[in-house]
Amino acid sequence: MMVVVGVWIAGAAGAVSRYLISGWVHQFVRVDFPSGTLAVNLAGSLGLGLIAGSDPFESTLVVLAVGFLGGFTTFSTLMIETIRLGLNSPLTLLNLTATVVGGLALAAVGYTLTS
Amino acid sequence: MPTTGSLSRYLAKVRHRTRGLSSVAAVAAGGLLGSAARVAIGEWIPTSETGFPAAVVSVNLAGSFFIGFFLARRERSVGRRLSLQFWAIGVLGSFTTFSTFSVDLFQMLSAGRPLTALGYLAVSICGGLGLALGGQRIGAAIR
Repeated sequence: MMVVVGVWIAGAAGAVSRYLISGWVHQFVRVDFPSGTLAVNLAGSLGLGLIAGSDPFESTLVVLAVGFLGGFTTFSTLMIETIRLGLNSPLTLLNLTATVVGGLALAAVGYTLTS
Repeated sequence: MPTTGSLSRYLAKVRHRTRGLSSVAAVAAGGLLGSAARVAIGEWIPTSETGFPAAVVSVNLAGSFFIGFFLARRERSVGRRLSLQFWAIGVLGSFTTFSTFSVDLFQMLSAGRPLTALGYLAVSICGGLGLALGGQRIGAAIR
């Protein structure tokens, strides 16, 4: 039960962190590209890779992984922002490729570092 | 709200106008609900014997549909900015997840199951884009 409540609270913390960090990144980068969402999804993939490589069943790490990183990273915003780039735009493919390939690579790096 | 251009840019403008604790509270409340729903669905839909993460696919596809639907509905009526922060960023943002998707892909590849990884990737991305577009169309079509 403690883990469940911990996951809920960590999910809220993850969402707020995503909101603030993606906003900062987007303001800092200053291009019309969803750089904020890309940044949080890449960072979250690295973080979950690190946890998956260590001990993913330890309860603190479950709260961090399922709650915080689950709420920190997002798939729905990735989809809607990709569509809003315009399906004919080269940026669409760039956004998807950078997110998926980068996320996979960083998950692998994280996993390898801790396993 | 423009139908093209990045949501981030739009969100940055919204954020600029509604700084402060109320927007953070809306995202936090939505994030708590979205995460709780994701965990509940994860318990409810088991991972299949083939190791295909059906629960992650389900929440990501459902969340993609609803974000398209929600944003299209919102364009038709002048919703409150806090509702965008609560629903789109908080609830749907936390309900769906990308970190699990990345790590799942990596583990499928390192377990020597590239076809499962490819299927997972294709269903998630193509399905997510299709459902978000469908959600947008339906949201815009309903009076």
